[in-house]
Amino acid sequence: MTESEDVTSRRVMAGAGALVLAVWGALELSTWLTPQPAANPRTAAVVLPTSLTGFRPDLWYLPDDELLGFVEIPAGPFTMGSDPSVDSLAFDLESWGEEQTQGRVLLPAFYMGRFEVTVAQFAAFVSVTGYRAVDERALRGPPDHPVVWVSWTDTVAYTRWLDGELRTAGSLPELAALIRDGWRVRLPTEAEWEKTARGIDGRIYPWGDTPDPDRANYRSRATVAVGSIACPACAYGLSDMSGNVWEWTRSPYQPYPYDDSDDRLDLDTEALWVMRGGSFGDGEQHVRAANRGGADPGARRPFIGFRIALSRF
Amino acid sequence: MPGKGPSSDTARETKPAPWAPLLAVVALGALATTPRVESHVVLSRSVLATCIGLLLWHGALFVRSRRGGPTLRLESAFRPQHYVQALVQLAVFAYWGWYWRPVYDMAVLIGAQLIFAYAFGMLLSWTRGRRYVLGFGPFPIVFSINLFLWFRDDWFYLQFLMIAVGLLGKEFVRWHRDGRQVHIFNPSAFSLGLFSLVLIATGTTDLTWGADIASTLTLAPNIYLFLFGVGLVVMYFFSITLLAGAAATVLFVLSALYYTWSGVPYFVDSEIPAAVFLGLHLLITDPSTSPRSTTGKVVFGGLYGTGVFALYAILGAAGAPTFYDKLLCVPLLNLAVRGIDHAVTKFGERRVQSVARGPVHPTRLNLAHMAGWIVFFGVMTATGRTDGRHEGDRIPFWEQACSEDRRTSCDRLIAIEANYCADNSAWACNELGLHHAEGRIVGIDPQLASGYFSSACELRFQVACLNLLDPENRQRAEPRELDLRLLLREGGLNLMQMEESVLYARACEHGWDFACPSTDRAS
Repeated sequence: MTESEDVTSRRVMAGAGALVLAVWGALELSTWLTPQPAANPRTAAVVLPTSLTGFRPDLWYLPDDELLGFVEIPAGPFTMGSDPSVDSLAFDLESWGEEQTQGRVLLPAFYMGRFEVTVAQFAAFVSVTGYRAVDERALRGPPDHPVVWVSWTDTVAYTRWLDGELRTAGSLPELAALIRDGWRVRLPTEAEWEKTARGIDGRIYPWGDTPDPDRANYRSRATVAVGSIACPACAYGLSDMSGNVWEWTRSPYQPYPYDDSDDRLDLDTEALWVMRGGSFGDGEQHVRAANRGGADPGARRPFIGFRIALSRF
Repeated sequence: MPGKGPSSDTARETKPAPWAPLLAVVALGALATTPRVESHVVLSRSVLATCIGLLLWHGALFVRSRRGGPTLRLESAFRPQHYVQALVQLAVFAYWGWYWRPVYDMAVLIGAQLIFAYAFGMLLSWTRGRRYVLGFGPFPIVFSINLFLWFRDDWFYLQFLMIAVGLLGKEFVRWHRDGRQVHIFNPSAFSLGLFSLVLIATGTTDLTWGADIASTLTLAPNIYLFLFGVGLVVMYFFSITLLAGAAATVLFVLSALYYTWSGVPYFVDSEIPAAVFLGLHLLITDPSTSPRSTTGKVVFGGLYGTGVFALYAILGAAGAPTFYDKLLCVPLLNLAVRGIDHAVTKFGERRVQSVARGPVHPTRLNLAHMAGWIVFFGVMTATGRTDGRHEGDRIPFWEQACSEDRRTSCDRLIAIEANYCADNSAWACNELGLHHAEGRIVGIDPQLASGYFSSACELRFQVACLNLLDPENRQRAEPRELDLRLLLREGGLNLMQMEESVLYARACEHGWDFACPSTDRAS
């Protein structure tokens, strides 16, 4: 190699090295100068309260009682669907058929959440898991209000996470015994939901057969804190089974008669998923215990939330 | 006349033009007011910051000139290798953009880069005490860069930097070749290669649209035929047939050998990716930075083909985007040019020339090479190696290959399904969820599986919702009609409006047995 070639080679190497360093440096500088989002921008929006009356911050803001808000619904049959001769507001889709408008459904015992899942509870889930699919609006409400802007898939993710957490939580002997015995946290089926709402005496509303705006949040403009409307007369003493927010269930929308085993039929159909209870913006007709709503599993709306159940598999 | 080179410049007299960069800055500033640039704050700030930088630089040069420094002068020279290349590249943009509109949306930004390249080139020449040669030189550089790599809007200033690096490389990284001081690297390839390297090394490849650019080329129907056609123009004028032809031939041959050995295509759905085909026509064929000898061209092209083939595997194995395979090896090949020429001369170029060329005129020889290339490409096309339907674009093929554990087929299947899932095919998302839940071809990852089931469920794929509810009892289902419209798309063909019967017939042709007339669906 001649001296001039040698000099050229060295220049080439030095030039290439300098340029690599320059571009690398520019990239690093750009990264440094650009405000970096948090690892998960969604979780950055999560603000968890240090305390919340009636809820346990140390246990993901679940209700502060021995079963963390789960209320036992005893085994037994109940009347499902509506009889238009009794309930003049009934929709056709609540009828089991022309000859028999209602059906008797036998359910084993299960537990239902006393309240709708709150913003704080859902925020705890997002905070712990870094769940990315969440709509930021779901985390913006007051912490003790029902969470909204959640899709059906979000609610399934929440129940799966909570199930796992409760399995490892050591300080809840009664709940731990249930879980050891094969009970699982999940969404309620629509039959479980309806039985919880109307009890076994076939009432139209959770508190009886006549609408009463003092017992539920409907015909209003916004959600209220869960449990803030007392309803001692409601079946099993649960709150907000009528109104406040629609509640997702684990049942795909199928025509009546109800059959739990139908869940896995018609796999080719693009099913809606049943939601129950009506919301703050609805009227008397929609907050009846037998009313059925349906929505896309990906729908996130300001009037749809959910409630959890504990069922045995 | 074919075979025109730098000697055919139309040179004109030198004129003082200290105002020229100001004109460029004004034009650049005007572009900053266009809706496309104003659509993103980083875009408009990038353009404005560039304007300020150019103004300051120009101001400094102007003051130096007034104090007795070199005068700021221009001369014009319009070289065929610039404007022919630019026209060919423009044709590619026009055709590709017709089927992928973001290309047309990019027009303003490409214009901004062109103006920047002119201004930067001027100021660089004057800084070095030389006159600036005004011609079409910046066009092929800017077009070539933009045919392969765009930075996303929020990193757009790096696009200007990429052009600056290309021009600086041309200016400063030079050597003696055939008795002349010439630049070593193809400016655009140098910049593309350097930036690709840095992006891969820093794990920041997602700052660019590179992979999207490569994959959307095939949205234009018959893109290979189109590139082949415009490539012939370049081949005719600049005698690069051997170079491009050798690269293509090596890639075709290596792909065929790989297929024979492994039972699966090397480049998923073609024997030679469209972006590589583009690259071997327009990226490596700069006469200034490639060998001049006949054998040297063949060796150079062959090495490019081999390099792309190897880099595709290396990048894939390293988990880096394989898109960069076509960019990384060009600067290395540019560096090897002198060595190739030297070796070729030493080991018998003279003998080869005497045998191969003899008394034949170079133009005729090039035409003969082109005829050979046309025949070769025709055979490749006729046997379905280019635009024709390729086995690798059929998911059932990859499912079958994966079930038979053919080399890399399961990884390919996952990658293909991930692409379709990202395009909202619920079926593909559900399949991915199943793979991650089953752990047969990828590691078990329940969380990832749930994520995919959720995506599919939200797209109203009922089975996925049930899989999400009950991951222990997983179920599969055939693609729905909407899924087929996504899974069977090809090039720019819009399947959304396709009649159902035609769609299912197409699905049957692509290996989806359930869609064939003899199955339950039809009955």
